[in-house]
Amino acid sequence: MSEALISVRSLCKWYGAWCALDHVSLEVRAGSCTVLCGPSGSGKSTLLRCLNGLEEWEAGDVIIGGCPVARRARDLRRLRREVGMVFQSFNLFPHLDALANVTIAPRVVGRQRRADAERAGMALLARVGLADQARKLPADLSGGQQQRVAIARALAMAPRALLFDEPTSALDPESIKEVLDIMVELAESGTTMVVVTHEMGFARHVAHNVIFMDRGRIVEAADPASFFKAPASERARAFLGEIGATPVA
Amino acid sequence: MSAGTLSGPSIPRRLARQTGSLLAVTIRHPFSLLVSLVLLYAAWIVGEGVVSWGIVHATFLAEDRSSCDPAGACWAFIVNRLPQFAFGFYPEQERWRALLVVLAPPSLMLLAVVPEFRGRRVIMVTGFGLYPFLAFMLLAGGLPGLPEVSTEKWGGLTLTMIVGMSAFVLSFPLAIVLALARTSGLPALRLVAAGFIEFWRGLPLVAILFMSVIMLPLFLPPDVEAPRLSLALAGITFYSASYLAEVVRGGLQGIGRGQYEAAGALGFGFWNMQGYVVMPQALRSVVPAIVNTAIALFKDTTYVMVVGLFDLLNIVVAGLSDAHWVGLAAEGYIFVGVIYWTICFGMSRMSARFEQRDKPNRPAENTLGMSR
Repeated sequence: MSEALISVRSLCKWYGAWCALDHVSLEVRAGSCTVLCGPSGSGKSTLLRCLNGLEEWEAGDVIIGGCPVARRARDLRRLRREVGMVFQSFNLFPHLDALANVTIAPRVVGRQRRADAERAGMALLARVGLADQARKLPADLSGGQQQRVAIARALAMAPRALLFDEPTSALDPESIKEVLDIMVELAESGTTMVVVTHEMGFARHVAHNVIFMDRGRIVEAADPASFFKAPASERARAFLGEIGATPVA
Repeated sequence: MSAGTLSGPSIPRRLARQTGSLLAVTIRHPFSLLVSLVLLYAAWIVGEGVVSWGIVHATFLAEDRSSCDPAGACWAFIVNRLPQFAFGFYPEQERWRALLVVLAPPSLMLLAVVPEFRGRRVIMVTGFGLYPFLAFMLLAGGLPGLPEVSTEKWGGLTLTMIVGMSAFVLSFPLAIVLALARTSGLPALRLVAAGFIEFWRGLPLVAILFMSVIMLPLFLPPDVEAPRLSLALAGITFYSASYLAEVVRGGLQGIGRGQYEAAGALGFGFWNMQGYVVMPQALRSVVPAIVNTAIALFKDTTYVMVVGLFDLLNIVVAGLSDAHWVGLAAEGYIFVGVIYWTICFGMSRMSARFEQRDKPNRPAENTLGMSR
């Protein structure tokens, strides 16, 4: 496939004495889907949040599309338009209806005209299957619907990559499927995605790369077939055993 | 719309149901019946006296005190002096200007209560936002067709309106900036904002008014002459901004980190984030406290009397010493009280409407009292 869209070089981050990221290096090719997994506290969410500058780090580089992620606010804003983010707790804007949630960034940040933004916004809501809910406020939507609106909102800025931070962890099983279906569709249509998740089914069937982290380090990076079939490290084996994703023979 | 069909028949029916249940509660027990009768009797005694004094035996038209019926209120005092109470010493042929200044705020408030229509929000925001400037220009004149009128001649309800409204409108943006500075990540900014707020909030308004009118001119260049009204207005604005800033800060504290992160991840800059994501939520959540502050501020404008400005209260008090109308304090203060109460009640109704309409989960059908 094509060259790396995101590359992380020797990234280090400390919370006081706790080393959250320990010389993490990583490449994400354009159009690929990468799943980050690992036990809680392993640094996977921290790593993800570094990719769009939501977290600061002490050493190392994050390079997106050839440009290093700078700490200057203006550069950071430009970067963030290129990288969309979907949060565990949705973080929809509660005072805006679904369509306005999707259109606000194109209108305010992208300076699009209202009519254009709304036409594009309705198309995105249709893509996540929520065209009929456009005028509802987040509080009137189910969790799964809210997360789908959040995905549409992230897509509205036409980002070059999408980051998912445990997008299904706050959802009931039925809603999880709604959201995963959208994510599968996105991955299959060639969206560059980095996903922190415990949904091993998604990792196994959809991801191109699986990265297993523990204690701030990347322990294992492999394609899903070999990772699930025969994890190389003892820790990955233990982790898969714990969450019930036993290696298939 | 479903809201229309719900509101039409349901209100009288609801009223009937409520009076019915009230009656049922009242006569259910002998004791509650007794209490109700006692209260009714007390209401009769008080109400009968008020109606008899204030309406039945009251005199509305008279030339002076002596032609008033001594058994009732002498409202003729108010009627005769109404133009002065409303407009102060504003020249008679120019009073239409003052009338516009007095009527604009209630009309804008009325706009807030009528059913939704396109562009209402824009009209209200620009109306309130431009009011201090337009009202000042209209009253001061000096433009072709508008002869100049010195601020010393402004008074009565006109002055109360312009001081109260201007102080509130001008302090609002200042309060937002102060609240943002006080919650900012920059220590210097936090310190300046906290210092400003604590300074103005910690002083009695009377002291602020004295300071701004007497001491501020000492710091101005000698050839600059600021009218007392502007100096007093500046003082009240800072005072009110420091209170409002804390209210806004309270609203800011209710906004979760996720909102900032979501807006940041979409590429919002600081001011866009505040304007489109943070402030709409923060301000909406503190509407009751904002209106509370506005009402308190409106009543506090009566303190301008200590620096010799003739607001509504002061001009009525001054009128009480007129030899033709001596001894009518009760009528004067009741009149002033009713005016202030009406305006404050109007503000409170306006805020209730805002709260209803802007509930985050917007249960449009339920705000009318229909049960789910």
